[in-house]
Amino acid sequence: MAEKHHSLIALLFISGAASLLSGCPSFSSRPEEPSSSVTSPPAPAPKPASPAQPPPTAPSERPLPPPRENRLSPATRSLVNQAHALLARGDIDGASTTLDRALRIEPSNPLLWIEIGRVRMVEGDSHQAESCARKALALGSGDHAAQNQAGHLLIDALRAQGRNPEAHEIESRPYMH
Amino acid sequence: MARSRSRLWRRIFFAAAISLLLIAAAFGIWVVHLDHLVTREFQGRHWSVPAHVYAAPLELYVGAALSADDLEEELHRVHYHRGDPAQGPGNYRRVGNAFDIEARRVRFIDELREPVRVSIHADAAAITSMRLASGGDLPVFRLDPPVIGSVFPIHGEDRLVVAPADVPLLLKKGIKAIEDRRFDEHHGVDVLGMMRALWVDLRAGRVVQGGSTLTQQLVKNYFLSDEQTIGRKLTEAAMALRLEAHYSKEEILVAYLNEVFLGQDGTRAIHGFGLGSEYYFAKPLQELDVQETALLIGLVKGPSYYDPRKHPERALTRRNLVLKELAEARVIDDKTALRAAATPLGLRPPGGSYVPAYIDLVRRHLKRDYAEADLSAAGLSVYTSLDPRAQAAAERAITQDLQRLDARAAQKGSRLEGAQIIAEPNSGDVVAVVGGRDVGTDGFNRALDARRPIGSLVKPAVYLAAIETGRYTAATLIEDAPIQLKLPDGSIWAPQNFERDTNGMVPAARALAESLNLATVKIGLDVGLPKVAETLEHLGLDSQPTLNPSMLLGTVEMSPLEVVQIYTSLANGGFRARLRAVRAVLDDKGHALKSFKVQVEAAAPSAAVYQVDRMMMLVPTRGTAREAAARLPKGLIIAGKTGTSSDTRDSWFAGFTGSYLSVVWVGYDDNRVTGLTGAAGALPVWADTMASLKPVSYAPVTPDAVEDRWIGYLDGMETSASCPNAVEIAVPTGTVLPANPSCAPANGPAPNPSPSATAGDKIKQWLKNIIH
Repeated sequence: MAEKHHSLIALLFISGAASLLSGCPSFSSRPEEPSSSVTSPPAPAPKPASPAQPPPTAPSERPLPPPRENRLSPATRSLVNQAHALLARGDIDGASTTLDRALRIEPSNPLLWIEIGRVRMVEGDSHQAESCARKALALGSGDHAAQNQAGHLLIDALRAQGRNPEAHEIESRPYMH
Repeated sequence: MARSRSRLWRRIFFAAAISLLLIAAAFGIWVVHLDHLVTREFQGRHWSVPAHVYAAPLELYVGAALSADDLEEELHRVHYHRGDPAQGPGNYRRVGNAFDIEARRVRFIDELREPVRVSIHADAAAITSMRLASGGDLPVFRLDPPVIGSVFPIHGEDRLVVAPADVPLLLKKGIKAIEDRRFDEHHGVDVLGMMRALWVDLRAGRVVQGGSTLTQQLVKNYFLSDEQTIGRKLTEAAMALRLEAHYSKEEILVAYLNEVFLGQDGTRAIHGFGLGSEYYFAKPLQELDVQETALLIGLVKGPSYYDPRKHPERALTRRNLVLKELAEARVIDDKTALRAAATPLGLRPPGGSYVPAYIDLVRRHLKRDYAEADLSAAGLSVYTSLDPRAQAAAERAITQDLQRLDARAAQKGSRLEGAQIIAEPNSGDVVAVVGGRDVGTDGFNRALDARRPIGSLVKPAVYLAAIETGRYTAATLIEDAPIQLKLPDGSIWAPQNFERDTNGMVPAARALAESLNLATVKIGLDVGLPKVAETLEHLGLDSQPTLNPSMLLGTVEMSPLEVVQIYTSLANGGFRARLRAVRAVLDDKGHALKSFKVQVEAAAPSAAVYQVDRMMMLVPTRGTAREAAARLPKGLIIAGKTGTSSDTRDSWFAGFTGSYLSVVWVGYDDNRVTGLTGAAGALPVWADTMASLKPVSYAPVTPDAVEDRWIGYLDGMETSASCPNAVEIAVPTGTVLPANPSCAPANGPAPNPSPSATAGDKIKQWLKNIIH
């Protein structure tokens, strides 16, 4: 059990460090197809309400929203680093509490929710890890790098619950490539 | 003859001796019994140290919205003294906007931090730099968590027990000088003092002096009733003697100071100088000055007779008499006594650091989440999510606004009541709870226990249910027209708009913003009551609402706390966060008994919630909450919903910024008509609270598969931002919207606003404005 934890911790630590080091992701290509939302498929067009029907505007005419990039503030980053160090020592509760502090500073930063989800995975709480991953996906909308990390976490969480088909479906999402 | 006589005497002697022996034995057993009782009680109290309850520590970092003055205020909140940091932990120096702080040794949930010197700079708006005095980097630093109270988690009594080291010398000397001059000499009973008291009483013909020692008073507090009989006096004296035989003077004195009755706050008895100090002066015992200490000492003689709030004159006279006697006993000098006697009573204003409504929530969460056996351990520390600044802002807004609103409300001469809860919606942390107008009083906690119809606060759930079906968007036109429904019991239900008007075809966005009842009922019936109920349950409603059409207009009853739970899901993209007041409980060694992690759950699809949020952002710009703007920082973007129950019995506002979610209720305790809509009653309280918290704008992330578009507020047709009455809404990406022929969207034909339509809109809007 402890050994399993340690290898997991090491893995997470490395992936966390890699995510920190990767810094600024490139946004050269954004998928043309709107990616379907995790939780709801796009709704069909509503019934037209007005008899006057000038040419409707097609979505392709509108410019895509600018890509977003989430970063951790220096304060939260230092806490995240601290949490990684605690995790590496096997202090899961300490890591959790430290991330809790960071959450008070940046409660809607998707990168932080990914970190929290990773700790939940180490604790063996794949349901909370899944929720954190989904929240990070929602908060990270438009941020390919953040969504990619959240997607990996979500896949891990789903697999841990034996929900392989759903995990497989996530793998095909645009942000996973 | 003589022989029989001496035999008789012998018999009498024996009988007397045996009787004496028996009496002595009985007396001995009685004393042993008393001894047992008194030591058990003393030990029990002695060791029943309450759990200390802490607010969340303030996190400091570069960019934190804390001015230099704010920072100093926060330092004072945790009792740092301006001076020379070299004097030791707890001191700081401020030069201009630069602070040098010698931080104390302090226990947090996750670490025991040793004293450390830090240098912090702040400007008029925020913290600009931080470093360790030793030169090291300091990206983030937290202040000591403020103590907000103490609870006996099992029996719920709340007391601020002070440790011997924390009792000021003035109080120790003072209480002895006034209540028991020979405390250090006697052995529990002061025979000389009793005789003197008896002499005084006999001369006066009534009981003037009790003559009880502090030890006797302590025993009386532990066990005995107030009746004045010889038997009781004897028992008291015997117990006092036994107590003194077992414990030191210091232990007895401190126990007395923690036990003595100092006043009554509603149903709550104020026991002990620690709590008394907080209750009357809102400061820790160590910070009381001479006149404040004298007042508390004076109260011992008769807490209700000298109640400084009810009888300030009597209290002042009593305090000054105590000061005079302290000077005579050389505890203080004459000059100090005279100077202190010239000061006013200086009672704390309502509120302050004592937060009974929040502690109440903490107590309930502890009871819900912890095993009783765990909580009986001594010296626990309870770490909560309370944010003292948010709490103070909410208390200020409730007390000030309700005072103003009393004059506007329907029942003249009656007192409006109110409640407010503030939470951080992502984590579910409850940061402030106000249970009523008398914020420092432990009374009926309306924030948790007042369940009232929520009125239109329910509407976002109706629109969310509609959008989730995929058949509605914010631009869908709905008919706002009279509705008559035959209910199962045969009666006819005919709801009306608040203004008793009808508006024809209106976009859903406008129907929600202006809280149109008829259009909402139309949507709700189309979507189906079970679907709306299901949406409410997903959002976090515990109970199952009755499937009655009037449910669409908010007949469902909820407490402000329950509303907060539902709105967390709306405020953060459809993720329900479990509300959290207690973060962790540590034992006396600093080990966590249990900690509460953030818990989130997907409650509703992010894309649908975002579309509703966009509509709720129109409530303050175009709808029923327009009056908030005047009270809020210019340009602050908020989202929310007003609620008014039938005949304005309940006035609600639930809304969020980028920093906080808050729910406010205003109404009468006896449920009478207030004459106040949600906008007139609860909204100002909400807005004033937020305004003083410097929140950031609400800026939800646009989810995948949804896009922001501009439509006409009145006709729902797509238009461009510069067109009249253009409002921004969100729809599923690629939704086809009819375009406005006279003022087309930016990417379509050139805009050509129609002046007549514009004028009509303006008049209509103007009319709306004066009606509201």
